[in-house]
Amino acid sequence: MRLLRLKAEQLRQFRDPVEIRDLEPGINLFIGPNESGKTTLVRAIRAAFFERHKSSSVNDLQPWGDSAAAPTVELDFEWQGQSWKLVKSFLKKKLCDLTVDGTVYSGDEGEERLSNLLGYEYAGKGASQQKHWGIPGLLWVEQGSGEEIQGPVEFAGEHLKAALGGNLGEVTSSRGDALINQVAAERAKLLTATGKTTGDYAKAIAEVDRLQEQFEALQDRVRQYREQVDRLGQLREEKARAETDRLWESYRQQAKDAEARLAEVMAWQRDQDRDQQALEECQTSIQTTLELLNGFQDKQTELARREEEKGEAEQKQADLETRKPGHEKAVAEAGQAHKAARKTLKLAQQHQQRKELARELQGIEADLESDTAKLARARELHSVLLENRQKQQSLEIDPQAVERLKGVTSELDHLAIQQDAVATRLQIDLTDDQSITLNGERVVGRSEHLLIEPGEVAIEGVGTLRVLPGGEDVAEIARARQNLTDDQESLLSRLRVTSLAEAEGRLKQLQELKQAIQRDESLLKESAPEGLEALSDRLRLRQARKDELASQIQALPEQDDNSSPLSLAEAQLESAQQVLESAEAARQKLTGDLSLAEQALNRAKQEWERLNNELQAPDRKQREKQASDRLIELRLKESGLKERLAEREKQIDQAQPDVLEQDFERFNKSADAAEQQQENRNRDLIKIQAFLEAAGAEGLEEQSAELETELDRANRRRRELERRAKALDLLLTRLTEHRLELTRQLQAPLQRHLNRYLQLLFPEASLTVDENLIPEVLIRQGLGGEERGKFEELSFGAREQTALVSRLAYADLLLEAGRPTLIILDDALVHSDAERLIAMKRVLYDAGQRHQMLLFTCHPDNWRDMGVIARDVEELKG
Amino acid sequence: MSRFLHTADWQVGRQYSNFAPDDAVALAEARLSVIERIADLASEEAVDAVLVAGDVFDAQTVSDRTIRRLFNAMSPYTGPWILIPGNHDAALAESVWTRAQRLGAVPDNAHLALRPKVLEFAEAGFAVLPAPLTQRHTQTDLTGWFDQAETPLGLLRIGLAHGSVQGILAEEVDSPNPIAANRADTARLDYLALGDWHGSKEISLRVWYSGTPEQDRFKGNDPGNVLLVDIPKAGAEPRVEIRPTGQHPWIQMTERLAVSSDLDQLIAKLEQQPEKAVVALRLEGEITLLGKQQLEGSLSVAEARFRSLRYDLSDLSLLATDEDIAALHADGYVGEVISELRDEQNGDAGEIAREAMAILASMLLEKQAVGGDA
Repeated sequence: MRLLRLKAEQLRQFRDPVEIRDLEPGINLFIGPNESGKTTLVRAIRAAFFERHKSSSVNDLQPWGDSAAAPTVELDFEWQGQSWKLVKSFLKKKLCDLTVDGTVYSGDEGEERLSNLLGYEYAGKGASQQKHWGIPGLLWVEQGSGEEIQGPVEFAGEHLKAALGGNLGEVTSSRGDALINQVAAERAKLLTATGKTTGDYAKAIAEVDRLQEQFEALQDRVRQYREQVDRLGQLREEKARAETDRLWESYRQQAKDAEARLAEVMAWQRDQDRDQQALEECQTSIQTTLELLNGFQDKQTELARREEEKGEAEQKQADLETRKPGHEKAVAEAGQAHKAARKTLKLAQQHQQRKELARELQGIEADLESDTAKLARARELHSVLLENRQKQQSLEIDPQAVERLKGVTSELDHLAIQQDAVATRLQIDLTDDQSITLNGERVVGRSEHLLIEPGEVAIEGVGTLRVLPGGEDVAEIARARQNLTDDQESLLSRLRVTSLAEAEGRLKQLQELKQAIQRDESLLKESAPEGLEALSDRLRLRQARKDELASQIQALPEQDDNSSPLSLAEAQLESAQQVLESAEAARQKLTGDLSLAEQALNRAKQEWERLNNELQAPDRKQREKQASDRLIELRLKESGLKERLAEREKQIDQAQPDVLEQDFERFNKSADAAEQQQENRNRDLIKIQAFLEAAGAEGLEEQSAELETELDRANRRRRELERRAKALDLLLTRLTEHRLELTRQLQAPLQRHLNRYLQLLFPEASLTVDENLIPEVLIRQGLGGEERGKFEELSFGAREQTALVSRLAYADLLLEAGRPTLIILDDALVHSDAERLIAMKRVLYDAGQRHQMLLFTCHPDNWRDMGVIARDVEELKG
Repeated sequence: MSRFLHTADWQVGRQYSNFAPDDAVALAEARLSVIERIADLASEEAVDAVLVAGDVFDAQTVSDRTIRRLFNAMSPYTGPWILIPGNHDAALAESVWTRAQRLGAVPDNAHLALRPKVLEFAEAGFAVLPAPLTQRHTQTDLTGWFDQAETPLGLLRIGLAHGSVQGILAEEVDSPNPIAANRADTARLDYLALGDWHGSKEISLRVWYSGTPEQDRFKGNDPGNVLLVDIPKAGAEPRVEIRPTGQHPWIQMTERLAVSSDLDQLIAKLEQQPEKAVVALRLEGEITLLGKQQLEGSLSVAEARFRSLRYDLSDLSLLATDEDIAALHADGYVGEVISELRDEQNGDAGEIAREAMAILASMLLEKQAVGGDA
């Protein structure tokens, strides 16, 4: 569709006609300040299409204050090679003339054609509103509403889908959504969201279960009933048969027979027992008789034995008697041997004693000799010691005093030297024969004098020279010397010596003496440790012992060489003793044995006599004969009894009494059982009969059939509902799937166009649309990856830009579907920043290649680079 | 001349589980009401006896009430009723019969032949040889004893048995209880009244199955009758007349739908069926969505007219034609879903797909009706 010419008059600002010619197929830019009439132009176009010519609600079209005006719009456009011309007047002159290639459609008809062409509706009453605008409402953007997209898309929805559906080769369903809702609602009556049964369906299932359970219970009872019927028939038959057979009677008879037979056998058994007892008695008698006979035989045997015993005892006694003299002799010999041995031993002991005494004497003599020597020596040492000790006392000196004397003397020497050193030296050298007197002493020739104290030198004829040794030391030394000299003298006197050397000599002599004394003392101790007295006493004692020993030895016999030694004598005595003892013991034992043998012999003799007497009694033979006869008699009786018993035993065994007893028991029990069974049968019959009568009255099978009917019905209903539920479920699934599929198909081309424009605005961005084709989420590639922004949460500017992009995409879609597109933008994109505006201009320019576009703006500078000459609206009015 | 009414297989107490509750009740009730009609007929025709050849009751344990009602229904005819048990109501040790006796429900003129023993009706000039079933099933021929059974000279020998005649019905009867095909000859019977086969059937001149007097299953073997039997004299050939007694004919129909006129024919055919009929209709072939709507309407009308109408549409494919889809305004993806379901209705889950399609169609139709004024 291409708009060629637009003319408006008596319309708002345009009291006079305003005409725009030669509209370009692409972008047409209209500029002008506010209030210059841009919006009036837009309104004129809208009025021409949307408002019914008959409408009386379009007063806003009239110029200010001109109520007589007839606002008129004329539009020339091309569409599919046909030229369309629309003349439309309102209010004072209501007119609509649409001429298509010379054919005129007037009034409503014209208007219908227009609305079909562009895809919009007329208001039923009053002025046209947004909701009527359809596709133009989407493509014609009013001032300040560029960011609004949801409303326009919704209002264009049906037209869009109808227009686009054909292009997609599919037909959308005009009632699909309502249908889906209805199906969902119907499904919800039977199934929950998760597919569980609910409502009537759930009830129907429960009902089936309930009935099924009842039915099965009833079936069970029917089965039971039938079984009982069968059982009843069976029991009756059995009972009748039993009554005919009367088995219990025959059993009783058989038991009776067995009992009689058993009684007979029992009688035999009693006879048997009696005979058995007789046999036992007989056998006992045999035993007794045998024992009696054996008794006779035994006595004879015993007498012989006694006789033998007696002989043996006699023999034994005689034997012992013969051994007696031998023993007597042995004892006598042993006694003599013992006596001799004792004598030998005594002699040996005396020899031994003498030898010991001699040895002691010898020892004492030696001791005596040694002690005598020791005593002599000790006495000598003792006298020397006495002498030395006396000497020692005379030489006694105090060693300490000597030591001190030694010290004093040494000190004196030292002081003399000192004195010599400090003393005033007076060297005198006199001429011959001259002399002088020094301290009163005459001095001649040459001499030297040490003056330690004032001296006077008298020179004859001259006078006296007094020399005074100088200094204190001289005096002090002199004083010290004097003190020491005093000490020396005192010590010497104490020590009673004249000199130190003497003192020291005495000290040495003393020491030597002490040593000698010590030596002698130790020697003395050695010789006479207990003293001289003790030694001499001991000597005397020994002498006395010696004398005694000599006398003792004298008393003992001299020893000859062949006498036995003591030890041998002792051993001989001991063995002799032993021999004697054993000989005596043997004799003792023999004596004992002999007396025992004599006793035994006596006893044996008595026994033999007694038994012999007994055997010789006169009635014994007769008794023995009687016993033998009785034994023969008893043996005969025994064999008779045994034979009879065996025979009868066989008879009893053949009769089998235990089996007879069992028979008796068995037949009796069988009879009891048969009667009991019959009784039980009768009881069961009554019971079953009662049960069946009660159950039969319930009409079980009829009930069961009725219940089955009900169950079948419930099952049918359940199946119907199940089928319906499944069908609804299937239907809902299918409808939803198809709807989704269709939405996806519809969205695909729109998405393509959207993305094309979006790349110019936001590189790598994409915009999703919801099922109503309304922009939903803008996805952009940011620094942190994908950024998703809901459309309504975008900034005003971004919303406007995105909305415009969407509108252009719709226009592309419509174009592809062969629908007219005319884009009108009134002061669009005023909220875009410079950068976005540049991008948007690229977008618009691109769209302008395919769509006719009317761009109105009051910011001409922003739009000079759209590649077209701008038309000034002010000038149009010119 | 003697005259009898021969009937069998009353199956009183039978329940009809496959039917709607009111139909089931009516059908069960019909089994009793037909006995009243038999009694009336017996009176009208002044028969000498009514012979009931087994399966009087459908089960042993029917309710006391049912037992009483049965004997009550017999009351219009006061002559002798001679009844034998069949396999459903065999004379077991405890049976519906012993119960009936205990209840005192059995009127004096009803002779229960529970034992194989000759019943003589000397005054009326006949003797009955019954072969009652004393077990549910037997493999021996219970009529065997007829051959040796003595009856007074001059009395008609009437056999009464329940089972299948050997070599003739063996394959089709519902119990194995065998009856020798030549029994009437070997036992010198004037007439052998049989039960067990639910249709009226002549086996030989003297041997007949009366069939059930009220149809109880879809089997077109001539059920719903009693037999009026005239026997001029002993040894003479009996004259047997079939008298209808049933109220509810059971009709089973299988129709194939291919073109739209088939549907009209089907509807016409349904309209021709008798009013009290019990109808089972099975449809095959295919039908359009709109045709289905029409069919359902017609079936609904028919349902009201018949005693019972049951139909099985599981082999009837639904066609969704372009007209259907246009008419239903099933445009866009809804149309796609319909096509998809249509293609799936012959697969494994075909039943569900068909149901889904039917639901969808009905919703769309409903919407169309509602949306008309929008």
